Amino acid sequence: MRGRHLGRWAAAVPMALLALATVYPLLFTANVAVKTRRDYILDRFSPVSSPHLENFSAAWNSVGMARYFANSVIVVTVSVVLLLLLGSMAGFALSQLRFRGSSALFLGCLAALFIPFQVIMVPLARVMADTGLIDTYPGLILAYVAQFLPFTIFLMTSHYRTIPVEIVQAARIDGNSTYGVYRRIMIPLGAPALLSVGILDALFCWNDVLIALLLMPSPEHRTLMVGVTSLRGQYSDNIPQFASGVLIAALPVLLIYLFLQRQIADGVTAGSTKG
Amino acid sequence: MPIGGSSPAVGSAEAERATGTEIERPVRGLPGKTSRGVRAERLAPFVLVAPAVLIIVALRLWPLLLGVNFSFTGDGERNGTAVGFDNYAELLGDPLFRTALGNVGWLVVLLPVAVAIPGLLATFIYLRVPGHRVFRGVYFFPAVLSPVIVGAIFNLMLGYDGPLNTALAAIGLGPVDWLGDADIAMFTVTGVHIWATFGMALVVFLAGFSTLDTALLDAARMDGASLPRIIWHVIIPSLSRTLQFVFVTTMIGMLTSMFGLLYVMTSGGPEGSTYLPEFYVWIQQGQMNRPALASAASTVLFLIMLVVGILQVSVLRRAGSED
Repeated sequence: MRGRHLGRWAAAVPMALLALATVYPLLFTANVAVKTRRDYILDRFSPVSSPHLENFSAAWNSVGMARYFANSVIVVTVSVVLLLLLGSMAGFALSQLRFRGSSALFLGCLAALFIPFQVIMVPLARVMADTGLIDTYPGLILAYVAQFLPFTIFLMTSHYRTIPVEIVQAARIDGNSTYGVYRRIMIPLGAPALLSVGILDALFCWNDVLIALLLMPSPEHRTLMVGVTSLRGQYSDNIPQFASGVLIAALPVLLIYLFLQRQIADGVTAGSTKG
Repeated sequence: MPIGGSSPAVGSAEAERATGTEIERPVRGLPGKTSRGVRAERLAPFVLVAPAVLIIVALRLWPLLLGVNFSFTGDGERNGTAVGFDNYAELLGDPLFRTALGNVGWLVVLLPVAVAIPGLLATFIYLRVPGHRVFRGVYFFPAVLSPVIVGAIFNLMLGYDGPLNTALAAIGLGPVDWLGDADIAMFTVTGVHIWATFGMALVVFLAGFSTLDTALLDAARMDGASLPRIIWHVIIPSLSRTLQFVFVTTMIGMLTSMFGLLYVMTSGGPEGSTYLPEFYVWIQQGQMNRPALASAASTVLFLIMLVVGILQVSVLRRAGSED
């Protein structure tokens, strides 16, 4: 018994070191972000005693960060709402309603899940250019919806399969049409899954850089992550301001993580256990 | 599609009466329902899936076909004309693309490491190492950060006089030019990718552990089996499905989500040593204006992913059935 106890502590020490290695880069960046340029050049490691918060306002105001931030918020919000709406509609139909071709559709959806964006990006850019959707908000939103819809449908279908058929039948006997069942039963009962999937979709869209880089070439249409890639060039001689810009871009995600960690983990694992 | 066949009922007389159609479908035919309602009901599943199907077909499946077709046409002056396998021949002759393929080989070699790290950590967390709750929360957090953010942070960490080299100097090593040395840069970026994503696999492993038969584990412990033996004989066989999932998703992740890191950390350099197929596609499409060549590279990437996925599934399935 004693030996096993010792063994568990022996594992805990390297794991604690690894945990430190996991958080240190962010702590280091946060510390750098509140230094003055002079402090940074003199000593980049020592903890700051009086934080120099002006870096954040300077980064926010100077290089269009506010604009990029707004672009990201608009695109991500609309994309996630559409993803959840279309994903839950299709998930409901594929899990609870029997119709001709439903299993083939579900398989097609699974297949689409395995087409990475890199494989279709060249023709997609051309389709967007031909339809005039390139460099527009609707174009980027459509691309995000198309990219993450198979995943959303897959998880919503798996979730709705766990709802007993009896509940749906009872709702029908009460006089609900299919649309009524969707609105009154599927939306409320799907809420936990919608929350997890919605958070994951939001993270995917927020964190994307390739799709936005490809489909939104104008500087004023940059999303926040594309904006971050240009920070380094602008602040090559002002690392603290660079660090504070990076932190501003990471902040929404860190907040979501702090408060909704369990839902994120649920979404990630739902794909593995139900697949 | 059967949608086109049935037009919506317009006859008002028909709509007013609740008629025999209901009897055909007793579950759906409800008192007071008109036949227009019945028809709307029959169409409902198609209406519900139609928008999703349209978007997926138009913006994912159709571009896939278009891209494969595109890869057999020419660029520039030969735009639109069929050129057979010319683009593929050019790819094979391009040292940058060959480097990209070689780097894919390295990723396959490193894959077991990228799976073993979260697997081992999940095992310890499952065995309730002191502080396991904290570890679980901390390890997962980089997984939610964008590769762009991670890359920017590690540009600071890996600088020539940055924290990592300073730490190495403290124990008498280095400094190492992590991103500037062509022999090292690809491993550095891969290491950062593993740092940023092992939390995802960890969470998946932990979900797998929650389905593990604890009686089996207790029996092995009673028999005094050592931890490595427990992992090898109990945990790995019981988690074969989870392992299979993690192997495939980790490989897909390595092939398709390192773009942000490459873009921010190395831009493919130094000397083109950190090219991956996805980055090559981007450069040919975005910078070199060679969309047809880029399409050929995309098609090769897709084939690699298919082959890797099928191989892994069949190898792991065989390994699982031998037990």
